[in-house]
Amino acid sequence: MSRQVRRRHWVRLDNASNIFPATRRDADPKVFRMSAELDHEVDPGLLQEALDETYARFPLYHAVLRRGVFWYYLQDSELHPVVEEETLPSCAAIYQPDRRTLLFRVVHHHRRVSLEIFHALSDGTGALWFLTDLLAGYARRRFPEEAPPRSAAQAEARPGAAERPDPPLAAVGTHPGAQAAEEVHELTTDSFAHYFRRRRRTPEVQQDAHQEEFSREAAPAVLTVQEADEPPTEGAPLEASAPRAPRPARHRIHHVHGTRTPDHRTRIIELMMPARPVLGLAKAEGVALTMYLTALFFEAIRRSDSAAHGARSSHEGPTMAASVPVNLRQFFPSTSARNFFATIRVEHTYGHGDDSTGAVARGLQERFSAEATPEALEQKLQKLIRVERMPLARIVPRPVKDRLLSVINYANNRRLTVAISNLGRVTLPEPAESHVGRMLFHVSAVRPQFCAISHDGLLTLSFTAPFVQTDHVREYAALLTEAGIEVTVSAARVSEDELLEFGT
Amino acid sequence: MRRCPACTVQVEGDWIRCPLCGTSLVGEPVPGPYPAVPLRFSRRRVLRVLALTSLGVIVLSFVAQLLFGPDDDGIGALRSVWLGIATTWLVVVMAVSKRRNLAKFIVYLVVAAGGVCVYWDYLSGWDGWSLTFVVPIICAASIVGLLITARVIRMELGDYVVYSGLTVLLGLTPIVFMALGWVDTVIPSAICGGLSLVVVVLLLTVRGGAVRHELATRLHL
Repeated sequence: MSRQVRRRHWVRLDNASNIFPATRRDADPKVFRMSAELDHEVDPGLLQEALDETYARFPLYHAVLRRGVFWYYLQDSELHPVVEEETLPSCAAIYQPDRRTLLFRVVHHHRRVSLEIFHALSDGTGALWFLTDLLAGYARRRFPEEAPPRSAAQAEARPGAAERPDPPLAAVGTHPGAQAAEEVHELTTDSFAHYFRRRRRTPEVQQDAHQEEFSREAAPAVLTVQEADEPPTEGAPLEASAPRAPRPARHRIHHVHGTRTPDHRTRIIELMMPARPVLGLAKAEGVALTMYLTALFFEAIRRSDSAAHGARSSHEGPTMAASVPVNLRQFFPSTSARNFFATIRVEHTYGHGDDSTGAVARGLQERFSAEATPEALEQKLQKLIRVERMPLARIVPRPVKDRLLSVINYANNRRLTVAISNLGRVTLPEPAESHVGRMLFHVSAVRPQFCAISHDGLLTLSFTAPFVQTDHVREYAALLTEAGIEVTVSAARVSEDELLEFGT
Repeated sequence: MRRCPACTVQVEGDWIRCPLCGTSLVGEPVPGPYPAVPLRFSRRRVLRVLALTSLGVIVLSFVAQLLFGPDDDGIGALRSVWLGIATTWLVVVMAVSKRRNLAKFIVYLVVAAGGVCVYWDYLSGWDGWSLTFVVPIICAASIVGLLITARVIRMELGDYVVYSGLTVLLGLTPIVFMALGWVDTVIPSAICGGLSLVVVVLLLTVRGGAVRHELATRLHL
């Protein structure tokens, strides 16, 4: 190939992801972390090797975020990620304007491997793909004698999108970057890529496999789906016919207040418990785990609040609202590792009938399942695409867009008490599966929030909040222990007192 | 692993007190999954340093005015700008530090604004404009403002009744000015005094019990 001026590939940050850089604050850098706890101290050298291999297979993760006049955009880079010992608070800011840094970091501390990602880059499912590959690569190096035949190792562990093609391991060799990426590229010329992005496939892209790969991988998830979904619509009723969920009467939404942490770090408390008994509790009430956990969260907040304010809130029960993201890949097959989720808002007003956890959970589930259907979500998706392509939205300068998005975001936040995210049960390829214990993930937050994930029979709820106070978590733990569940608490120190206690 | 007897949970890490409830833990510590990361800064300390520095600069600004007589050339305009900025700054600092208690802030605001205007009047050769107009108008406005605030943000009676009492007492001072003959135009002082008297009577009759209770609570020896 002749030497020519290198032109970096770039792709516009889609409208849905624009919310993250626009609403990023010191107190909420829009970073999430996903961790796995191994059964031994992490070997940084092997982890770095595994990271090199995984990084080569995920072109999207090569991106840096840059600011254009009208939009943010992701630009391909030649940066190289380095595994680091954990020295920053969890979910510390990753994206800083004008600094070209990768939008993720991999850190380790004792037995934990953590992947932290700026939310504009990817969502939980996308991150889980990356972490799964990273752990698989690490475990293969650490326990070479246990590694099963290659095909078996690669067959599983693509939660949310089983059809994502993987390059054969043999091809991902010593030459990080070009060669590995080319393998991915060749693989994807088959049915899948053909199916999703036919129009872009022109012969001349052959010249730079990596760049082609970057722009394909980095394409907004909404767009990849739309093109795929148009031909085979199986009579999905669009627009008018789909009934709108009845809009409930507006109540004053309850908000949790507290003292901000001294240096804006996120308050993190994990509750770890065996998964089976909790599932049993949810089953006994006849609801899905996520909704059961959400109802418990409402109850915990109500308890902690009435403890704080005495009888003040006795006359009219508070209205609690939660936002619950759903992974759209399960409804609209997409292999994009980009953000691809929609949030569903559920709420409950106390003091109108049965307020037991089970009843609340069933009420929430009813509302949730009405909205979590392909038809209802398709409407949301259509709206996203429409906004994405609206000419007026395009020509507004980016700083103005940022302000507008902040306002929209603020308005949305006013309607929420908490947020919940559940990634479900994770299975890793062997030998990683047998050497990884609990897994967890959490996200920086402007309001109390928890993220649930289960692995190895252990369910971890990771609570985050911008406040020092832990009352709602204390009540949550109490609700669980009252139900006979063994709970283990791990927390990161945030306040001056807690850090001082450590010093003495 | 350590255990919290109150929460009946296991606690990972070398915590001495339970991160959830603060109870002393029992049992042997195990290494925690998070490193103890020192604070980058402390918002509380930053705010305190900012507030103290600001107050210092503001006080110096006010004291420095004594160096200039009322008749110095061009001092009038300079003084207006200088004191205007210092006063605005003072109000901002007060608003930030009293942000959790609006009723208290209103009382502070009345005292600060009234005091600054009287001082300003004195610096510029004492025409009596501060006592005639500014103080009565601020006092009357604060009484109305406090009533509206208490209603709009649904303050509890106990939280604002003391501050209502204080603003009303301040509102009575213009009557003293009138009696001593310090004011030429009596209308502002008369309105303010009248309003205060009405509110005092209302407070003592309608909310008498609450006022006595609150006073007894706060003044107990």
